[in-house]
Amino acid sequence: MFERPLPRWLAWAADPEQLRRAPFLARSPLFAGLPRRLLARLATRFFEKVYHPGEVVFEEGDPGRALFVVVEGAVEITRATAQGAYVLNTLGPGDAFGELALIDDFPRSATARVATPGRLLILYKSDFDALMDGNSRIALVVLRNLSRLLAIYARRRPVVATEPGPGPERAGPL
Amino acid sequence: MKPGRLLAWGGLAALVWLARGLVFPLCLAAALAYLLSPAVAWADALAIRRSVAVSALFAVIIAVLAVAGFLLGPGMLAEAAALVDRLPALARQIDVGLDAVVRELAESAPALRRLLPEGGDWVQRFVLNRGPGEPGDLFEHVGHLFLLAILVPFFAFFLLRDMHRLIAVAMDRLPPQHVETSVAVWRELNGVIGRYIRGLVLDGLVVGALAALGLWAARVPYPLLLGAFAGLANAVPFVGPLLSAAAAGLVVVLTPGQGLAGVGRVALLFLVIKVLDDTVIQPFTIGRSVHLHPALLLGSVVVGSHALGVLGMIIAVPVATVLQETARLLLEHRRVLARRDLRLRPERPVV
Repeated sequence: MFERPLPRWLAWAADPEQLRRAPFLARSPLFAGLPRRLLARLATRFFEKVYHPGEVVFEEGDPGRALFVVVEGAVEITRATAQGAYVLNTLGPGDAFGELALIDDFPRSATARVATPGRLLILYKSDFDALMDGNSRIALVVLRNLSRLLAIYARRRPVVATEPGPGPERAGPL
Repeated sequence: MKPGRLLAWGGLAALVWLARGLVFPLCLAAALAYLLSPAVAWADALAIRRSVAVSALFAVIIAVLAVAGFLLGPGMLAEAAALVDRLPALARQIDVGLDAVVRELAESAPALRRLLPEGGDWVQRFVLNRGPGEPGDLFEHVGHLFLLAILVPFFAFFLLRDMHRLIAVAMDRLPPQHVETSVAVWRELNGVIGRYIRGLVLDGLVVGALAALGLWAARVPYPLLLGAFAGLANAVPFVGPLLSAAAAGLVVVLTPGQGLAGVGRVALLFLVIKVLDDTVIQPFTIGRSVHLHPALLLGSVVVGSHALGVLGMIIAVPVATVLQETARLLLEHRRVLARRDLRLRPERPVV
């Protein structure tokens, strides 16, 4: 019903922040394929927060309750090993992390630390659940995207090791 | 603590103390904002600027209230005027009835005479010796209501328009390690309070409409006033439905020609409404927002009534639910962190 943006004569009434947020989310692999109407509804549920370099978004073992999307800056995903923190991946604008919190109640499997000044979008699990209850299309698209990301991760690492190996690898869903 | 900061905190405390009269209007404004927030969220999803959306919403509400006032106002005013006209006669009738009961009690049980109240015309003195005798009080009450009618929508407008900005400022000041739990607690509480308030209002509207229709069908006088009272009183758990049934019963008793059959009809009507409310209406309106054990629910209402009277009874259930949800989230957080500290790694997700 509201697939189209506001008509031109109503442009003065448009909220620039919402207009910016929905297309930005559309570029994220996790939300790719969602129609504009659902993206707009999803976008209103996000909180935004400014982070400074070195700040820890969450630590390995923390309870996972939210998904994060990088708007600006870089976020390092690390895992503790006997040799110290091991950088699994560095994420940039458009990348999402902590997505497994949306589907299970397991603690975080890695640590996320902000590497450069940045802004993150935060989506709380219950907000996502409420949206899915009201619209199964969101659930279908996001879970399909998540399965795709998990499949890519599984092909890269067929056996899940308890500690990261010495070779280069990328972080899977957290 | 530095003297400057101490002074600032002291100043803030003094300001809060001076503005304590605003707490009640602010609570009502917050309730109104919660009631209207789904419409604003809908406008957000259409990428409509908050100020435009909230202004348009208030314009629509004013228009709806004007139409409702035009349609229902004359009827309610006529009922209220008729009630005011009949008030002296009604008070006299009740006093005569009460006198007879007291006399009867005193004659049948002389031992109780000491305990029974002396004098008479209690209701007439209570009802009739007020308003006109104390015009200052009357003006004060009207002024207070007028101020509430202005302040509540005013605060609600700005809460709806600027709350997201306040939350953004608070988020940026939160230490990163507390963000996830804070967002979780805020969202859960926001959801519980919002659903409860919207459910309560919807429930009150349905119950009020059913009561008004039922009373009108039973030919009880003042159906609109009594229906409105039933809808409002429904916000008070346990006691509210009893009060509205008692008020309607009293009107029936004092109406010539209604008799005991009329009282029976009214009692049956309110019983049916209560059963319908508990089994059909409430599960659809507030059922999903409250997950309190019945004993805890009753306990919270009793504590609320002792602390804040009727207002305490109304807010007891959401406050108890909020405390329960907060405790659940914080305990869960603590449990997971304790497990992590003990290095009891959970099983990894199957990939």
